[in-house]
Amino acid sequence: MAAGDAESSLELSLTGSGALPGALPPARSRIFKIIVIGDSNVGKTCLTYRFCAGRFPQRTEATIGVDFRERAVTIDGEHIKIQLWDTAGQERFRKSMVQHYYRNVHAVVFVYDMTNIASFHSLPSWIEECKQHLLANDIPRILVGNKCDLRSAIQVPTDLAQKFADTHSMPLFETSAKNPNDNDHVEAIFMTLAHKLKSHKPLMLSQPPDHDEIHIKPEPKPITSCWC
Amino acid sequence: MWCEVVSLLRSLGSALVSYFDAKKKRKVAEIYQALNSDPIDVPKLRRMAISKGGLLTDEIRCKVWPKLLSVNTDNLPPLPAGKELRQDNKDYQQVLLDVRRSLRRFPPGMPDDQREGLQEELIDIILHVLKRNPQLHYYQGYHDIVVTFLLVVGDRLATALVEKLSVHHLRDFMYPTMDNTKQILNYLMLIIDQVNPEVHDFIAEVGTIFALSWLITWFGHVLSDFRHVVRLYDFFLACHPLMPIYFAAVIVLHRKQEVLDCECDMASVHHLLCQIPQDLPYESLISKAGEIFVQFPPSKLTKEAAQAERTAASTFKDFELASVQQRPDTVLRQRFRERMRGEERLRGEERTKSILTKPRTNRFVKLAVMGLTVALGAAALAMVKSALEWAPKFQLQIFP
Repeated sequence: MAAGDAESSLELSLTGSGALPGALPPARSRIFKIIVIGDSNVGKTCLTYRFCAGRFPQRTEATIGVDFRERAVTIDGEHIKIQLWDTAGQERFRKSMVQHYYRNVHAVVFVYDMTNIASFHSLPSWIEECKQHLLANDIPRILVGNKCDLRSAIQVPTDLAQKFADTHSMPLFETSAKNPNDNDHVEAIFMTLAHKLKSHKPLMLSQPPDHDEIHIKPEPKPITSCWC
Repeated sequence: MWCEVVSLLRSLGSALVSYFDAKKKRKVAEIYQALNSDPIDVPKLRRMAISKGGLLTDEIRCKVWPKLLSVNTDNLPPLPAGKELRQDNKDYQQVLLDVRRSLRRFPPGMPDDQREGLQEELIDIILHVLKRNPQLHYYQGYHDIVVTFLLVVGDRLATALVEKLSVHHLRDFMYPTMDNTKQILNYLMLIIDQVNPEVHDFIAEVGTIFALSWLITWFGHVLSDFRHVVRLYDFFLACHPLMPIYFAAVIVLHRKQEVLDCECDMASVHHLLCQIPQDLPYESLISKAGEIFVQFPPSKLTKEAAQAERTAASTFKDFELASVQQRPDTVLRQRFRERMRGEERLRGEERTKSILTKPRTNRFVKLAVMGLTVALGAAALAMVKSALEWAPKFQLQIFP
């Protein structure tokens, strides 16, 4: 219980920091809303937690409905809020409920479990569903294979995943939300997405930028090998 | 002087303690009296479950929960072997994933092997109920409800209680789709609108998804103190199936200032409300939920007839009538033996008939709750009223 409470308060404090005096007023900082979808138990909660809290959660439970995590980042001097919507994996939720979360989404992260081929085989239905819900076709989407630290149990070979990603014009990342040596990788994935969104088009609450030039930090390249 | 004050405070303290002890003892005595009367005084048990402190101990819950659900504890069927259940079960993988991850539902400090044993039992209970009721579909969060019963009453009784509860109260969440669940979430907006239109207008912008996990787990998923969970289960088991959504509304209304201070977007409000404060004043919130239920019963919230037949609320009347026919355990055992001799049947039917036809007017109901606190009276009244008169008729289109 104690661990769970500590985790919640950490999330809160991180979110709260966006509103501290000195930060940009909330109305003027852009918000990137990113939805994270994929089968049950592929690690959606761990990935989003890792990015927002900076570490692997000690224990996670099944997500009921949707959870929401947020992190304030600064990209090229601009304060941006990244909102991650962590959704339930069970089919019945996505059939009836998830459509609600697709509203005003700026990017989609598809997650599969590299040690579970079934979660990879479900991807086409997730992608199809996403197409039905999203009005715009040019919304950035990325594919994340999680749990690459479990080397001996890998069921989804990288070349297969890469081929699939290419077919759907998505960059592929293989990662582990858990591996402590992989500290920057989860971060890099979401930051890459944030950079892409920043340069993509004006998003909600856009403000006139001070300068038009956008410096994109070196992106981690969509990979063909595991970083862990 | 100081010493006198201290000793005065001390004696005041011990007087208070003995006052509350005496009150608690009185309540325990009342509960046992209701359990032993013939027929069992179910309305009184409901009032006890609703009123301050609920059913007080797990020992009492083991005795009263079955009565609130009309479950006969005498001849519980033996549980089938787990292996059999797990073969060819379409939900097995999902249940397994959810239960294995549900570590937080077990008491902290419980040895791992004991917890793992309980988790296996939890899987079996769920699969058993699903197998016997193919019309029910597993949802993530169902396991959060079942674990509460397992921890309080043990696997055998939990199976019987959960089956009854699933068929009656939870079935709206267990259809192939979650359309009924969405309709019940709509009630949240209607209730809040009645009590505080300002909060309603604010929430209307952000939707009701934040309350989904509250509703379908009866708050079991979101409260970390198990004592609070069982206290709420006492309340919900004693009330109308829609009471959890009234309680959800009361939580939002309790935090209205925080809500209104929030940025009006789905994310901010969702985030705020999903973090349930650990120090909620549960007893007063329970009273408040009862009050609001009486003031704005579901039938008042919705005027149009249409969907009533589709939700669990529509059969609650039958469920209530069945529950007042229960006999105390001692009598049941005796009757069981007698029935073996084929003597009891006729008399039983007559008694049942008289219970069903006994006039129970509002006046009677009001008299029955006199002397209780206003809130308790209100909640109990709501419960009985709903059993007698309530026929929900609604057609909602708020949820897209």
